Amino acid sequence: MKKLIQFFVLIVAVSALLLWSIAKLNDSQGYSSGNTLTIYNWGDYIDPDLISLFTEETGISVIYETFDSNEAMMTKIQQGGTSYDIAVPSEYMIEKMIEEDLLLPIEHDKIPNLSNIDERFIDLPFDPENKYSVPYFWGTVGIVYNTAMLPGIEITSWNDLWDPTFKNEILLTDGAREVIGMGLNSLGYSLNDTNREHLLEAKSKLDLLTPNIKAIVGDEIKMLIANEEAAIGLVWSGDAADMMWENDNLDYVVPIEGSNLWFDNMVIPKTAKNIEAAHMFINFILDAEIAAINTEWVSYSTPNKEALAFMPEDMTEDERFYPPEELTEKLEVYENIGKWNLAYYNELFLEFKMHRK
Amino acid sequence: MKEKLSPFSKLFLIFIFLILYTPIFFLIFYSFNSGGTMYNFESFTLDWYRELFTDYRLLIIVLNTLVVALLSALIATIIGVLGALWIHSFRRRATRNMLMSFNNVLIVSPDVIIGASFLILFTVTGYKLGFYSVLLSHIAFSVPIVVLMVLPKLNEMSSSLVDAARDLGANSWDVLTKVILPYLTPGIMAGFFMALTFSLDDFAVTFFVTGNGFSTLSVEIYSLARRGVSLNINALSTLLFLFTIILVIVYYFIAQRSKSTVMGVRK
Repeated sequence: MKKLIQFFVLIVAVSALLLWSIAKLNDSQGYSSGNTLTIYNWGDYIDPDLISLFTEETGISVIYETFDSNEAMMTKIQQGGTSYDIAVPSEYMIEKMIEEDLLLPIEHDKIPNLSNIDERFIDLPFDPENKYSVPYFWGTVGIVYNTAMLPGIEITSWNDLWDPTFKNEILLTDGAREVIGMGLNSLGYSLNDTNREHLLEAKSKLDLLTPNIKAIVGDEIKMLIANEEAAIGLVWSGDAADMMWENDNLDYVVPIEGSNLWFDNMVIPKTAKNIEAAHMFINFILDAEIAAINTEWVSYSTPNKEALAFMPEDMTEDERFYPPEELTEKLEVYENIGKWNLAYYNELFLEFKMHRK
Repeated sequence: MKEKLSPFSKLFLIFIFLILYTPIFFLIFYSFNSGGTMYNFESFTLDWYRELFTDYRLLIIVLNTLVVALLSALIATIIGVLGALWIHSFRRRATRNMLMSFNNVLIVSPDVIIGASFLILFTVTGYKLGFYSVLLSHIAFSVPIVVLMVLPKLNEMSSSLVDAARDLGANSWDVLTKVILPYLTPGIMAGFFMALTFSLDDFAVTFFVTGNGFSTLSVEIYSLARRGVSLNINALSTLLFLFTIILVIVYYFIAQRSKSTVMGVRK
């Protein structure tokens, strides 16, 4: 009994010491002061120096939390419990959040830097007139391939993937809309096509691709391709940038038939407490120089036209990540195709996955 | 346990340990890589450890994780021991079994469901998410584990021990503190350490109930997955691994000193 009590007292003492040091650390970082801004963002998706810079400039301390999927983020915001002032969902989730009335309209006159954003990325179907959202980063879906493993081969279009020489060399990202979308695009249809015949046609075309497919994988696709486990991958441009940074032999291409254009946008959830600070932060991030610093750190493509001037040329002139206008016109944003159509996409994707072996 | 192991079983044991430990050593090895990736070892560096100790946000999260684990394990142990005593106090075997089944249901039910229920509970009652919501839910899912570790010890205890104490004039309090609890100590310790590890590595429940700037390590590391985990997480995992090793060693010596047969703590 004595030993047990000694042990428990020790645990309490250690906990008290830890709690005390947490409080000290919190104070030294200014997390516990009154004027705070709570941001909910993807993990590793902002240059941490910018957060301290914002705090220095405005005196507002920032509580920064991270999530790993749109769905998880939506759940937390829907349930309340934490008052996030800013969140950064992807476009299809924004559409859903608007539908469910979870977002506050953004007061454009409080964000003068909004004019820095390229018009191409303003007023898109998922949020007309950008009433609720401001672009943060964007990218495409495309093909990453290893030039050393496939010497002398240049891939430019989706249809190139059906070439029998790529037997067992292709990795696909495990996403119904991405893969079915590839099938639709290769036939010249829209990514948001809901015509059942077109979809079946796309599915049977994808079935023909099976001999070339090595696996359908999740996030590990980055590591597998960087480690040269496979020569070709269907990926998002941000992942491609990561892979290319790790392996010099890789190249990325946005297929000429067109592809998906995706966005992560800043929004203000309905539960926000510090709306004033939220607007200040959005304006801060849209500042040309700040956006340039952030883009260099995150390495995704920035929608901020003015920021390009502050970035190194080899980054901004890279047509793989800043595609020319002719190509961006062919890119499509995923539209909300509705529950039933989405279920049909998923069903086709499942059938396609089962068809493999 | 005293029987000699056959060479085959020894080999099998070594093989299992290899499987369990190789990934950890692989991870530790690359925490010293200057190359910044989990392959292509370039040269030895301590940069990731240095980066770790300058990242205050991450440090706070680590400390949060430890405090929640220690406190929740402690409180859960106390509640769990009381619960085990209470279940044991029923005379009828059927009642005991039924209560035990209720306890076990909580252990086997999926974390996601427990987490979602807690989230709903906290938001419906208007309870603010943060340190206390995480602590409360960790206590809640640790209690059944402690009960499970303590109850077998209690059943194993011969009732003549208690009878003898009573015959010698001990009152109920004396019986509890001088006979029953000392006898249960190994089980209580095992329960405490199990609760501690459960709390340290829980992601699913914790994810739902964190909020307002309070986060734990598992949630934080998980959200890094989209952009690839940086090597300072390797460095952190190395330190935590050492920390748990030290805990296990300390526990081993405590168990040795009390010289009683102890259920091993599963890691």
